[in-house]
Amino acid sequence: MIDRREATRLAARLAGPNPIVSSVGNPTFDLFGVADRPQNFYVWNSMGMASSIGLGLALSRPDLRVVVLDGDGSLLMNLGSLATTTMARVPNLVHVVWDNGGWEITGAQPAGTSFGVDLETIARGAGFRHTAGVETLDAFERAFAEAMAADEACFIAARIEDGGALKHRPSKTLTSLRDRFMAAIGA
Amino acid sequence: MLDVKPSKAGRHKPENAPVWARLILEAFKREGIHNLVFLPDTVMGRLLALAEADDVFRLTAVHREEEAVGILTGMFLGGQRGAMLIQNTGLGNSLNALASLAMAYKIPFPLLISLRGELGEFNPAQLVMGRAVRGCLDALGIQHFTLSREDEVEIVLDGALKTCFTAQEPIGILLSAQMTGWKDEQ
Repeated sequence: MIDRREATRLAARLAGPNPIVSSVGNPTFDLFGVADRPQNFYVWNSMGMASSIGLGLALSRPDLRVVVLDGDGSLLMNLGSLATTTMARVPNLVHVVWDNGGWEITGAQPAGTSFGVDLETIARGAGFRHTAGVETLDAFERAFAEAMAADEACFIAARIEDGGALKHRPSKTLTSLRDRFMAAIGA
Repeated sequence: MLDVKPSKAGRHKPENAPVWARLILEAFKREGIHNLVFLPDTVMGRLLALAEADDVFRLTAVHREEEAVGILTGMFLGGQRGAMLIQNTGLGNSLNALASLAMAYKIPFPLLISLRGELGEFNPAQLVMGRAVRGCLDALGIQHFTLSREDEVEIVLDGALKTCFTAQEPIGILLSAQMTGWKDEQ
């Protein structure tokens, strides 16, 4: 099992100057807490939307390799976005899902991922050709580095352990998050 | 796996596109709106056929309307403008994303909604959402205008788009069946 904050720190380092979109809740709090950088776009609500935001960013910026840090609960809310990514034929998206089997932040209630739902298999069925399912930090590091170097859309399901919630919070002035991000990627 | 590139506008042909569709696309071009993110209906299909024949536009289809809000947010963050094209039935599928993403982060784009459930409706299941469209938009604080006649498309849309980017918020553009027509089915 993976410590998701270690994995988040690793992803931010390996992403280099490329943008990261983090999903509502722990993916955003972790990313802000361990690797705040202007190329991070923090989603404060909008459960399920991180993958769609990442897709729009990837479409508009072929010069960048866009990273999405999603949660299993959030992705299960917007599974159709995987099919949409395939349909849009973007080559420059790396979709990471932190899978802890449920909604940890609201009290660790189990979601479908605790009952046999396999997100990597779903991603393959939705048309992703480059996928990985990882359960150790070393395996995550290898899979993420490979995905960042690939020339097609990639999906990584990373099995993480529960880690509680950090107290760190990004700015609540949402336009400042927007503007900082856009300036950082030269939009 | 099927790996072909079918027409995104399906069976619709650009030569059959109505005047209002051409006027809308011209207004988009004037404002640098080149991304059309859509879930089709037969009204939007006619506009999409015209857009697909024009290299200026990139068409991105979604499987649920809410995705379009996320995609347009990502495109805006990346420095590109776009428009969301849906039928009013899909507005309900998009409400939280519109509220918590587009309105909260101030992401501007025109939200084109073709109106079912008003004039000439044959499907009883369309009626309730048809009546609720303006109330939903009002409740979210999304300003909106209705296009009912082709001779008002240019001025209303030019003005609405300018306001949209000034406000840095989505703006609703409702396409009435008075202009787009309705189905013969009883």
